[in-house]
Amino acid sequence: MSHAHEPRISRRQLIGAAGLLAAGGAIGVGGAAWKRHERGLRAEVFIARAAGYDCDLVAAIEHSLDELGVMREEIRGKRVLLKPNLVETAIGKQHINTHPAVLAAAAEVFRRRDAAEVLVAEGQGHRRDSLLVLEESGTQHAIREAKLPFFDLNHDEVESVANVGRWTSLSELHLPRTLLGADFIVSLPKLKTHHWAGVTCSMKNFFGVMPGIVYGWPKNVLHWHGIPQSILDINAAVRPHLAIVDGIVGMEGDGPIMGTPKPVGCLIVGRNLPAVDATATRVMGLNVSGVEYLVRASGKLGPIQEHNIRQRGETIASVRTRFQVLDVPHLRGLASV
Amino acid sequence: MTAAVDSLRQQLAARLLAARRDDGSWGYAPSQSGASEPTAWAALALSTVGEPDAAAGAAEWLARRRQQDGSVSVTTSLSRPAWTTSLAVLVWSQAGEVYRTSLDRGVSWLCKATGEVADVRLSEAQHDAGIPGWSWVEHTHSWVEPTAYAVMALRAAGRLEHSRTRDGLRLLADRALPSGGWNYGNTQVLEHTLRAFPETTGVALTALARLGSQDFVERAARFLETELPRIRTPLALGWGLIGLHAWGRRPADAGAWIAEAAEAAMARPVNPLHDALLLLAAADKSPVPQWLRRGEGTAAP
Repeated sequence: MSHAHEPRISRRQLIGAAGLLAAGGAIGVGGAAWKRHERGLRAEVFIARAAGYDCDLVAAIEHSLDELGVMREEIRGKRVLLKPNLVETAIGKQHINTHPAVLAAAAEVFRRRDAAEVLVAEGQGHRRDSLLVLEESGTQHAIREAKLPFFDLNHDEVESVANVGRWTSLSELHLPRTLLGADFIVSLPKLKTHHWAGVTCSMKNFFGVMPGIVYGWPKNVLHWHGIPQSILDINAAVRPHLAIVDGIVGMEGDGPIMGTPKPVGCLIVGRNLPAVDATATRVMGLNVSGVEYLVRASGKLGPIQEHNIRQRGETIASVRTRFQVLDVPHLRGLASV
Repeated sequence: MTAAVDSLRQQLAARLLAARRDDGSWGYAPSQSGASEPTAWAALALSTVGEPDAAAGAAEWLARRRQQDGSVSVTTSLSRPAWTTSLAVLVWSQAGEVYRTSLDRGVSWLCKATGEVADVRLSEAQHDAGIPGWSWVEHTHSWVEPTAYAVMALRAAGRLEHSRTRDGLRLLADRALPSGGWNYGNTQVLEHTLRAFPETTGVALTALARLGSQDFVERAARFLETELPRIRTPLALGWGLIGLHAWGRRPADAGAWIAEAAEAAMARPVNPLHDALLLLAAADKSPVPQWLRRGEGTAAP
């Protein structure tokens, strides 16, 4: 080393620090060990077929919510926060972000269920210019048409809450006041593979509620403390109420931003997010036990085993579409179904 | 167009002044408590339109928030992170000797603060992880934007030759994307080279102003000249133009772009950071040489 600053961390730690690796990758808790922890936990996940974004998505989401028992009485008078997955944009790369048609349809459904207010909130992880991301993703047009307010969580007022999950060593989490003021929080992710976490879906989507002014761009503190562990801590603190996954066109390969479009033609909906993400992983033809955050969530935040998830609507087999994953050592467990 | 831009500058300035909190600070929104970043940029922006009192009030607010170790955190409710120390130092550097103690303490903190390093060039990232720049949050990796802010601050404080400033300049050169510009600070992940962002590119070009053009600077300027004609959002357009202007490459249509962006901004709820950046981008003369002249004199380094 020729410069004055001696390295204080290992290569592996640094890779994690640079947002380059989900600490632990797909290793850690073995199959038989985690399966024991789900006794008594059950969840329902609904798969709705939707061939394209011009389908009647309102009807598809309404039917899903009816089947899951998310009725008007539960939503009436509530402040509903919709959290899409907006990361960054590139011309012609619509598949990076949650499609605006899904966002608009979800908003319409909650309005029909007499929500007092429906708002859209995001704090994208790579770019500071939220307005540009909204414009280039097509989201701006959709929220303007639907008269939906947008809240930039990266620059929101911040409140500190105890880190009840304790999967990381963070003693507290700093969350946006807008999020804390919501009565019903809905994750609206894109169905994607992720080059470090393996899968990014409804749970990892909540990285986007962590304010950039506190966590940076990228939100490197969370990488430093471990992507799987951070996902769990954030979900334990936020306690989201529902997920509606945009699986109409997903992303395979080098997600979350550089992968290729993968048409699947479905929405995946559920109240329990580990169960939703486990189902989404199976829809992608991938191995749930290769997704570390799901393995760690098993039995703590929800069930992930197939026999503990009551599958509603379309069967997994009928929509399963094998997603390519990068051929890198830390993802090999994910691909080996 | 000049008259139209002048009028918009006055409107932006008036809106900024109206959004100022009683304690002399600005929040990210008028309903929010004071925050260091919008306060610093509002102060520097209002200085370009002859509002020294507002700038002085902001400098004072930042000085009152200086912590024992010299740092200034992002918001009043948190003591960390303190990447905004750079912005406070930049503001104090423009205030002559009034805030000399705050400035020296801030510079001292900045010179000690460093992002985590390793003695490897990561094949996964293709950047030199051994260069100690600045991180958003202590004990994490260094990224482009906080490093650029720290370089601006140290240069404005007369520390161009300091080893930490040189570290920062090396990091910015290392993280430049081959096709031109910067993103948040990863050039490549696994097999893909990543995309540049106009806003980060503008911030980095501003930090590098007057240091002599190099290939990566030229590529970054061309990236912005290609991208900005379609962009009207305050962060990306504002920083993009501030960066180009700092290099004497203000596009001929910049006034029209700013006018369109300002008009759109006026139709949205007040955002002091956005208004400040548009105001800085709309300045007849780039404010950046003035910031640096305080620390580096008139001769180009």
